[in-house]
Amino acid sequence: MSIDEVLLKVDDLTVEFDTPRGRVRAVDGVSWQVRAGETLAILGESGSGKSVSTQALTGILEMPPGRIVSGTAEYRGADLIGMTVKERRRIVGDRITMVFQDSLSALNPVQSVGTQIAECYRVHRGMSKKDAFKRATEMLDQVRIPAAAKRVRDYPHEFSGGMRQRVMLAMALALDPDVLIADEPTTALDVTVQAQILELIAELQAEREMGVVLITHDLGVVSDVADNVVVMYAGHVVERASTAEALERPVHPYTEGLLGSMPSADLKGQELPTIPGTPPSLRSIPSGCAFRTRCPIAIDDCATDVPPLLTVAPGRDAACIRRTTIPAKEAV
Amino acid sequence: MIRFVLRRALAAIPIGVIVTLGVFALVFAMPGDPLRELAGDKPIPAAVMAAKRAQFHLDDPFIVQYLLSMKDILTGHFGTTFAGADIADQLRLRIPVTLKLTLLANAFQWTLGLFFGIYAGFKRNGWIDKSLLLATLVLLAVPGLVAYFAAQYLFGVELKWFPVSGVLEGFPRSYLLPALVIGVLGFAGLARLMRTSIVETVNADFVKTARAKGLGEQRVLWRHILPNALLPVVTFIGIDLAGMFGGAIITESIFNLPGLGQFMFQAIKFKEGGVVVLLSTLAFISFIVINLLVDLLYGVLDPRVRNV
Repeated sequence: MSIDEVLLKVDDLTVEFDTPRGRVRAVDGVSWQVRAGETLAILGESGSGKSVSTQALTGILEMPPGRIVSGTAEYRGADLIGMTVKERRRIVGDRITMVFQDSLSALNPVQSVGTQIAECYRVHRGMSKKDAFKRATEMLDQVRIPAAAKRVRDYPHEFSGGMRQRVMLAMALALDPDVLIADEPTTALDVTVQAQILELIAELQAEREMGVVLITHDLGVVSDVADNVVVMYAGHVVERASTAEALERPVHPYTEGLLGSMPSADLKGQELPTIPGTPPSLRSIPSGCAFRTRCPIAIDDCATDVPPLLTVAPGRDAACIRRTTIPAKEAV
Repeated sequence: MIRFVLRRALAAIPIGVIVTLGVFALVFAMPGDPLRELAGDKPIPAAVMAAKRAQFHLDDPFIVQYLLSMKDILTGHFGTTFAGADIADQLRLRIPVTLKLTLLANAFQWTLGLFFGIYAGFKRNGWIDKSLLLATLVLLAVPGLVAYFAAQYLFGVELKWFPVSGVLEGFPRSYLLPALVIGVLGFAGLARLMRTSIVETVNADFVKTARAKGLGEQRVLWRHILPNALLPVVTFIGIDLAGMFGGAIITESIFNLPGLGQFMFQAIKFKEGGVVVLLSTLAFISFIVINLLVDLLYGVLDPRVRNV
């Protein structure tokens, strides 16, 4: 795989849920892509649709009640959403793997971690039990779990939170995937362990030229490791930019608000600014721009149409009519 | 592990004392004179009566009678019933009858319960699942006594598929009908529990992980969902198995199977405190042993409760 090759390209993905009280659109026309060696952060509050979009394209979303309304998710040109379950299983779990937030509940409590890692080799590579277990031990060693040969027989509850997340990583990276989707991998960990895990991911990524999709609500995590960032709000992508650009000159008022509410040393002694209000319920998303009810620069026109995601500068897209009208051009 | 077993055995001793003492007290408190009832209308010579009363310690205070009974049980000198039958011989004949009945009944109950429970859990809202819900409601609403007599009448008397009662046709023919009725009455609850447990496990995060690993649906079901979903069911099976002896008292009496349950029923009728306490002790010990085995099995199935 060559650097910069687009590995996973999501285009116009829309996901709805059928609930007893009607249809809810959790992801609306979302597009992003990740290249080899790139770390793409998907940033958003809970309920913004960031996890749902990745779960939908990997086929692990419960359907029903979930439903993919439109969109494609191409892995090296092959559409994951259109293909059969059997074809998808050869890619998801092998070329595209996932790490989840809560490693205690995300690992099978009654299987040893070695068995769970070995399962990847057994199912996707057809290895013998013994060889698979040996490879599992090597993987634990690679994610720097001390005494891997001994710990490979331990059960998930016998590990600390940080070590358990390493086990999750070992399992996800066992087959040398092209894309790693990490869904809030460090949210359940304390800050020092968080940094270790992110460092480990970055290191393993560099060794493998792997594309990483990092789902997070933590702007600090984004600024630490992401190359590019996609900001989501109420199921929509509201801003897409390189991390440096987004952090320095945010275009969308929501990104601006997030940045403003980051604690920093400059703010010592002052009250931390917040974005007023709460994210809308997906059942009652405001008309037009979903953010307008909390937006400091909203005008009446914001209520008319959902603002399109427009390119404001090369590699910079935003969905805000107050900020994009002048040099606007349809984003790809 | 050995420590665990020993600790459990020691903890069982005080409970055993309370249970046997309570049972003995209940029998003691029953009205009527046991020997006179046994003799019916026939007059008994006073000398014979006195000798019998002395043999069974009937004139001693309650606590002395209890201690004498316990001494007999613990030393293995079971003695005879009021009617003169050797109790040890009785046990030798009757234990296999009860074992055959309960094991066969449990085999039916588990096979049906696990099969339908797993099927309904995996294929939720299918027709098997929906029929199971209906069947559960119906079966839970039918009292055991009604079911026993109805089955006896329908399949024994009218259709003549099975013997009506007794053990003349041996194993398994004589045992099939009562075991089937017990099994069918009990399976629905087990199946519902199995189904619910699967439904709760299906949405667990580790199942999502298993799917994200690209595993086939069958592998996800049998390797990841089922081993976790079975845990509460194992507990239920243990309690249920231990409770089977209680059910045997009624079933064996209705189907005239000469097992421990029937023995217990007769002993209560004749106020034979010694026999009742002996059988209660047996039931109690089997209850403790079965629960211990279930706990050990649980430890094998769930690494989280090992060495606790």
